[in-house]
Amino acid sequence: MATLDGCFHCALPIPANCDFTVEIDGKPKPVCCPGCKAVAELIRDAGMTRYYTLRDTPTPGLGRPDATADEWQVFDRDDMLEAFAEREGDRASASIFAGGMYCAACSWLIETTLTKTPGILSADVNPVTHRVLVTWRPGEIGLGGVLGVLSGLGYKPQPLAPDADARPELVEQRAALKRLLVASIGMMQVMMFAVGLYSGQFQGIDENMQRFLRFVSLFVTTPVVFYSARPFFAGAMRGVRARRPGMDLPVSIAIGGAYLASVYSTFTGGAEVWFDSVTMFVFFLTLGRFLEMRARHRSVDRSAALSSLMPNTVTRIDADETRVVPASQLVAGDRVRVRPGEAIPADGVIESGTTAIDESVLTGESQAQLKRPGDAIVAGSVNLDGVIEMRVRHTGVDTTLGTIGRLSERARYARPAFVQLSDKIASYFVVAILILAAGVAGAWYLVDAERAFVVTLSVLVVTCPCALALATPAAFAAAGSRLSELHLLITNGNAVEALSRATHVVFDKTGTLTRGMPSVLRVTLFDTGLDETRARNIAAALETASTHPIARAFSKPSAALAVSEPKVVVGEGVEGIVEGRHWRLGSPAFVAADAPDDTEIDDGATRVFLGTDGRLAARFDIGDELRPDARHALNELKRIGLDLALLSGDREPAVKRVAAALDIRDARARCSPKDKLEAIHALQSAGATVVMVGDGINDAPVLAGADASIAPSHAALLAQTSADILMLGESLEPLVTAFRAARQTMRIVRQNMAWAIGYNLSAVPLAAAGLVPPWAAAIGMSASSLIVVLNALRLSRFEAPPRNDRASSAGRIASRPGRSREPLVR
Amino acid sequence: MDILYFLIPLGLLLLGLAVWAFFWAVGSGQFDDLDTPAMRVVMDDDSHPADAPDGSHGSDERQAPDR
Repeated sequence: MATLDGCFHCALPIPANCDFTVEIDGKPKPVCCPGCKAVAELIRDAGMTRYYTLRDTPTPGLGRPDATADEWQVFDRDDMLEAFAEREGDRASASIFAGGMYCAACSWLIETTLTKTPGILSADVNPVTHRVLVTWRPGEIGLGGVLGVLSGLGYKPQPLAPDADARPELVEQRAALKRLLVASIGMMQVMMFAVGLYSGQFQGIDENMQRFLRFVSLFVTTPVVFYSARPFFAGAMRGVRARRPGMDLPVSIAIGGAYLASVYSTFTGGAEVWFDSVTMFVFFLTLGRFLEMRARHRSVDRSAALSSLMPNTVTRIDADETRVVPASQLVAGDRVRVRPGEAIPADGVIESGTTAIDESVLTGESQAQLKRPGDAIVAGSVNLDGVIEMRVRHTGVDTTLGTIGRLSERARYARPAFVQLSDKIASYFVVAILILAAGVAGAWYLVDAERAFVVTLSVLVVTCPCALALATPAAFAAAGSRLSELHLLITNGNAVEALSRATHVVFDKTGTLTRGMPSVLRVTLFDTGLDETRARNIAAALETASTHPIARAFSKPSAALAVSEPKVVVGEGVEGIVEGRHWRLGSPAFVAADAPDDTEIDDGATRVFLGTDGRLAARFDIGDELRPDARHALNELKRIGLDLALLSGDREPAVKRVAAALDIRDARARCSPKDKLEAIHALQSAGATVVMVGDGINDAPVLAGADASIAPSHAALLAQTSADILMLGESLEPLVTAFRAARQTMRIVRQNMAWAIGYNLSAVPLAAAGLVPPWAAAIGMSASSLIVVLNALRLSRFEAPPRNDRASSAGRIASRPGRSREPLVR
Repeated sequence: MDILYFLIPLGLLLLGLAVWAFFWAVGSGQFDDLDTPAMRVVMDDDSHPADAPDGSHGSDERQAPDR
């Protein structure tokens, strides 16, 4: 599972000329950076290399460590212990969110490593909520130490305030488990009694024994109906009140009808009881709901998603001293100092200092914004190169970021009135059954008043929409488990139907079609005798001093050069001495006095110049590179009849470049989240079914407003919470699979429906005539359900469309002569 | 067959006990994590680096260039 073309630890592509390896089980494994090397060695030296064979295929980039280990030291202070931990005698416990966990092997790694650390008494990881409950002795290790261990393993820990630890998922899961258990045990017991009763039908049975077995069945079935099946009754009530009866209503009628008929039969000594059918039905439905709930819980915790963008600690300026405090303790009016590379902790106004701010997570704008005193800045954006002091205006959920979170929640709630196919059919079906049952009751009342009640109930039981109710959930469950093997995680079952009806696919550019990080697209050399490799290495050396995102484009030098006296000039560039010469890297005016005007066509790339002694030596065009398989995946989507569109918050030239390279006609630049949402609503009101693929915070409301949404797993956590389907891995290939699989799933659902309705329609007249013997009804009901389930299981053999291998690499932007090597990502 | 009149209620009593035990276990959080325990059986710590058979660990101390 861990055989990858990329980094052994984090699965990111390994940059050209990079030579870091880790020896695992006697074999050298390539890693992409010193950080990953350190983590892999730590895991190896702790004797836990098994982690690499047991984990799921990692998401590229996850688990890559941050360089800032010192950050955790502030958490060793007593007031931090006060804020985040609960003390009990000589031990303290705290709940920590471990960002970057993605599979069960992660929780094993965390638990084992933490419990091996001296001073830590216990560590319980909850993979559902990504939270670790740690108990330790404060005398031996500090909270900072605990966080440091987690950070050292490549996770992004966040201590949570004790009251932030409400876990609705757990409450829900516990209740569902109990219901499932009661239903399953009840079903098994009643089945046993039913075997006795059925054999009694054929061989004869003592009348007292028959009555006894019936009463025992009634006794066991009652909690199944009133405890396990309660959510269905509640759902049916809601449906009736909202005048939109869903699937819960026929289900409730079937359960309630069969149960009441059986109770009646038990007390009056009637011909038949149906307790076995009732319990089996409840069990299967409860199991379906349980699996659905588990899928839903895989989506990300919203509160953690928001706080993952905020810094853990901030430097607060009180009267005349500065204190490092947890970000959660900030209130409006505080003064805060933010150093380069740190995230802005709250919405506010700059009081002193000038800096470039990266607001890309909020606006989608890929270029940094220059901010001066008096300018407003928003929480979650990143301070790039200057030290600033800011006055806090809004904190926590009141920030712009919090508002976006709420907006996406609302958009998700107000999703276009969406009725599932099965619900639609079910509503008609219920009404039809009720009318029919009333008719049968009336007719039998005239013919034979004595039998009227029993026959009416048997009609209701025979029409028990067992198969109908199972048709959709069985198919969705089978499709869901198969798709997770094909790198697609479904968190909202309804999305499958929307996906199968989709007519438009709307993309967000940043990070979805492109890699989402800057890289050098092209190097142009000026006539100074400098070669390209050397130019890159010098630029890389200079950029080591910088926290600007542009610096990441240079972060993989082929040879590390030493730089002395590095200096960052805010808004201009960096300078320093490399091998005895003074180099400057940045804007043309900064690098050389006689710099030419940049009159070339703007293709969206950022130009960075390198020069020495006032002369230009090289020009780097830096931009976001297309994903290698984007073109192939998009062509496939067009081939299966989908219209593509691009709605980006980025600037016109950058969007045009991508749209041209990928042949997307409908491309719009500079879209705010509101514009995007409006564009999607416009498409929807024109009758289109829109699937949104996006990854930014700014896309969250749009993801929620579309009929279905897909987010890559490297997307911002907030985008993941709003998405219906998560795409694991770096490839765009699963996107095509998702559409094909959704169509296949809905085909199976329709087959199931046709079968279930056909069966019921043919059985009803017989039952209405009072001709269906009890054993035939039982066999028919089970057989029809079984066929539905088996048909659904065919989905578990669904194959992904064959990959168009390396040919897809032709999808890169063609004009890039200066690029030496292209790391291909699988 | 009259023994059934005794055995079935006895069975139901035991059933009640089992359900009660399960409810208690769920309530005390033993079923909160449904994924990891399945792996814990197969995941054991490897041998400690110290008693690695060929002593290969540690031979890879050829460090990466400093950053």
